[in-house]
Amino acid sequence: MSIKSISIKVIALLLLLVGLNMLYKGTLWKKDLDKEADMLLELLNKQDTCDILYFGESSNCTTDSFELCKKYISELTAEYYPSLRLASVDRPAMHAGIYLSVIKNIPATAKVKTLIVTMNLRSFGANWIHSKLETPLQKSNVMYQLYPPLVNRFMLSLNCYEKKNEVERDADMKRQWANEPFHFPYPFKYQTVIEWDNGVGNGSFLNPDGSWDMLKIGLATSYIKTYGFQINTETNPRIKDFDKIVAVAKQKKLNVVFNLLAENVTYADSLVGKDLVFLMQQNKQLLIDRYTKKGALVVDNFEVVQGKDFIDQRWTTEHYKERGRREIAKNVAEELKKIYSREFVEEFKNQSD
Amino acid sequence: MLFNSLHYIFFLPAVVILYYLLANRFRWILLFLASCFFYMVFKPEYILILSAIILIDYFSGIYIEQAEGRKRKTLLIVSILSNVSLLAFFKYYNFANTLFGTLMWKLGSATPFPFMEIILPIGLSFHTFQSMSYTIEVYRGNQKAERHLGYFSVYVLFFPQMVAGPIERFASLGRQLKEDHRLTYENIVNGLRLILYGFFVKMVIADNLAPIVNEVYANVGMLNSKHILTGIFFFSLQIYADFYGYSLIAVGSARMLGIQLMDNFKTPYLAKNIHEFWQRWHISLSTWFRDYLYIPLGGSKVKVSRWMFNILVVFTVSGLWHGANKTFIIWGFLHGAIYLIEHFTSRFIKLPSFKLMNVFLVLKNFVLVSFIWVFFRSENLTKAKQIFNSLFHNTSVADNFVVDVRIWILLLLFIISDFLLFNNRADVYMSKLKTPIRWVAYALLLFCILALAGVEKQAFIYFQF
Repeated sequence: MSIKSISIKVIALLLLLVGLNMLYKGTLWKKDLDKEADMLLELLNKQDTCDILYFGESSNCTTDSFELCKKYISELTAEYYPSLRLASVDRPAMHAGIYLSVIKNIPATAKVKTLIVTMNLRSFGANWIHSKLETPLQKSNVMYQLYPPLVNRFMLSLNCYEKKNEVERDADMKRQWANEPFHFPYPFKYQTVIEWDNGVGNGSFLNPDGSWDMLKIGLATSYIKTYGFQINTETNPRIKDFDKIVAVAKQKKLNVVFNLLAENVTYADSLVGKDLVFLMQQNKQLLIDRYTKKGALVVDNFEVVQGKDFIDQRWTTEHYKERGRREIAKNVAEELKKIYSREFVEEFKNQSD
Repeated sequence: MLFNSLHYIFFLPAVVILYYLLANRFRWILLFLASCFFYMVFKPEYILILSAIILIDYFSGIYIEQAEGRKRKTLLIVSILSNVSLLAFFKYYNFANTLFGTLMWKLGSATPFPFMEIILPIGLSFHTFQSMSYTIEVYRGNQKAERHLGYFSVYVLFFPQMVAGPIERFASLGRQLKEDHRLTYENIVNGLRLILYGFFVKMVIADNLAPIVNEVYANVGMLNSKHILTGIFFFSLQIYADFYGYSLIAVGSARMLGIQLMDNFKTPYLAKNIHEFWQRWHISLSTWFRDYLYIPLGGSKVKVSRWMFNILVVFTVSGLWHGANKTFIIWGFLHGAIYLIEHFTSRFIKLPSFKLMNVFLVLKNFVLVSFIWVFFRSENLTKAKQIFNSLFHNTSVADNFVVDVRIWILLLLFIISDFLLFNNRADVYMSKLKTPIRWVAYALLLFCILALAGVEKQAFIYFQF
């Protein structure tokens, strides 16, 4: 077999692969996206019809079952800009790593010019970074890559993603809790989350009869495990993701607005105390300073929602009742005025669904 | 390292390129290092177990060859016991302890031995059997003891077949490892053809069937009988595709290095009876048991009752080889029992030989084998019983079990290809096709692998053995 003959066969094979990629893209790709990575499908459907895209997780789309108004934060924000089209691309449990992969897919020719990206403080903590939901997210992330669709599909079938099981992720989480010491500017009796969790978990709340108030203890320790961290800008994967989002947005000439979500600071204070609030505030300030410096708009919603306006009263989430969602939407809309001052409509359509 | 991983897609070409760049006398070093790396990706510390097997059988071979008379036999027994002890500890310790504990409980006591969390080294049964075949052959005088520890290590470790076979004999693989293989177009292309078809069978067929089978076995009580039957037949096809696909990739990978491994499968579901099935299914294991258990037991040159006993022992041990569970023992025993039944009935009932009858016999055998697979797939006997109970009693259960039309199309493609490959091999068959048809086949296989392979994480089933 001559070199020439082999070269012809290799070229034929490459052409065949190009053809198969076209065939796949035209037939099965969107079905696969729908099944494995539907955020990208949603992006493809919206990027050429919208001016602004709102990237979010469950904070955007969760409403209280008793509410009459079921409007999302993104929808409430859109009401301030009736002449613009603002749509959301959201899925529960998403984080900046996934937003980044999806955003990378926006072509330069797309109509969309502004991205509002949810910045959830919890997503910077070990609790979320090592969540059991991370494996399915990483799986879908394979399909968001910028390779030809057929390559992504093949990578998916080769399981080219971090496939840690729940036990491994749980171990990673506990390792991080045990090995990341706090650096308070004042003396603090606990060195790590594990110590703090044990300290508070050991009967710090008692019922009138002297027994342990397990409900409060559970909630307090949950706050510690969720917010008891100090962002290390060198190692935190979310920092890297948000940094890249800013860079990609710049490269694609897109405006980027980070919507720093409200946290239940009131409950954190009453259940755990000032030390936890200090950490939360420190992290918040770090994020605002870092990304403002990088040229992004950061909406500080951190303390705009009161404790009673959180839907989940016995768990740490960013699910807000209507009033909370409206407050956040208003702040986001105000920030957007820096980009779309002429399109902003002051009159708020206070309608309920 | 899994064959169906990105690592292997880079690993294999790298090894092949380096292999042909090196002089023949250095190639064993490359294969040794590559095989160690391949194995250590799974669990690095288990290479020590493999090292123990290698050293035991390497020195056993030399000493057995030098010894005479009873000493020779004693050395063989020591060697076999050492191998079997390692296998027994990792594979059967907890199983035996459970049986012993049950017995002690009936006697009003408890087992004094602790239960241990033992993770079975991947493919331990395969390389133990491969290594044992060497010492037995040396003992029999059919094989000269290998003096080069490097070549012997590569024989046990050879990465394409180290964790799930084919179980090769030293006479074949050891010799080929020493030969100076030249880079030829034929070896590379035929190897790639086998790998291509192997990926199709494993990733497209087995990996797409796996989630369906898992769903059936997990929710058997809530499914309609016809869907349970679908699950049973699908497992038959899944395990075949899984193991056959693996073997094809193994044979293809070795072929790219100029080494010919034996065929482990020859369209087993086209067999007309259990006897023929075992001549076509996991051939390297069947022949191992034939040569090293069945024949030493007396084979067929004994009284009928003793022969029947031999058959049942061989099949039951073959079941036990797969795993430490009663389900595997029953699986093996049932194969043996049906083998005997078919043997005796065929003496009295002479079936007419025409095409339709052959189709009937193939279908009958497939159904039988599929039902026996239920024991193999079930984690315990209760589960197997539940499957059969639900199969016969859930006829009116309504469920929302649906099999995607894509799966049926792929299965049809697989069945057609299996018919085409009857008494043939994928690489040989493809090489006989006319160029345009061959390229259409390439395109079809490539498209299936790239666009339709299963997306759930699925290891090879036989890795656990």
